[in-house]
Amino acid sequence: MTEHLPAAQQDVTLLELVDRVLNKGVVLTGDITLSVADVDLVYVGLRVLLASVATLEQPETGGA
Amino acid sequence: MTSPATPPAARESGSGWYVYGVVPAAQVSGDVFADASGVHPPGHVVLVADADLAAIASTVPLSEFGEAAIAENLHDAAWLEDKVRAHEAVLEAALARAPLVPFRFGTIYRNDEQVRQMLREHSGLGETLERLQGTFELGVKAFLDAAEFDRRHGDEPDAAQAEGGRAYLLRKQRDRKVGEARSSFAAACARDSHEALTAAAEDGRANPLQRLEVSGRAGEMILNGAYLVRTEREEAFREAVAALESTYRGDGVRYEVTGPWPAYNFVTTDSEQ
Repeated sequence: MTEHLPAAQQDVTLLELVDRVLNKGVVLTGDITLSVADVDLVYVGLRVLLASVATLEQPETGGA
Repeated sequence: MTSPATPPAARESGSGWYVYGVVPAAQVSGDVFADASGVHPPGHVVLVADADLAAIASTVPLSEFGEAAIAENLHDAAWLEDKVRAHEAVLEAALARAPLVPFRFGTIYRNDEQVRQMLREHSGLGETLERLQGTFELGVKAFLDAAEFDRRHGDEPDAAQAEGGRAYLLRKQRDRKVGEARSSFAAACARDSHEALTAAAEDGRANPLQRLEVSGRAGEMILNGAYLVRTEREEAFREAVAALESTYRGDGVRYEVTGPWPAYNFVTTDSEQ
């Protein structure tokens, strides 16, 4: 889905994606071995990804 | 015995069933996922069905996805990006074909019978699928470029012409006024945008704004919205975004649309399902 987008755009999409996949969606409790419900963990995840995004984003930030 | 640095304690062995989401059993066949390798390649992504509902699932080793292991792996950017993208890719394979209830990352069951039991116990999933039929989610973020706003709204000829201490005071006063004007503009623009977009959609959510460093964008985020849009109204929705853009571009506002996404923002996040 992101293949044709420029790198900076892809990074933004990645953040959107992480925000959704880690933060939203149905959480069912019950006999589950794991549910990433801890908001702090989500934030940690975002921070970790940002570090890698920052290094990717240098060159192109769109025209104009 | 004194406690050593984090015992490798609860590293589990064996495997579990990772569930990506739920679809109506009648509308999706397993071969839709033939190209998706899932969060643990080359694991096969399959449908685990019970009555009308089917869970999209694949087996994962608990040495990597068990509770202790996954908490550790979340700190590994490469691992996380890889798995998050894989989770999304599986859901996107089904997105165009059927309504879909996306699960949050890392929902794991001990075995396929427990997955079926989950489907039986949460009858609300079926109602959610009906509600989501024919829709997907679009994300819209709005960013305000403060410098651009100030250029347009900061003209105060008095300050430009005055000299010395008076000029300083006038400038300070002007900056404060522009700052105040900018915040109230941002709030009004966000409200107007969210209302217009929600009207063009089935439903809308204004999520907490992300800080600058997290958004990875120049400009202050003033709207972080998610909208549930009927597939046949996508064009009209995008036109609504374009209309907002032309209204507010002069003030330094830019809009960014992402998606289509599974309806992550329009399913309940707790176990009421």
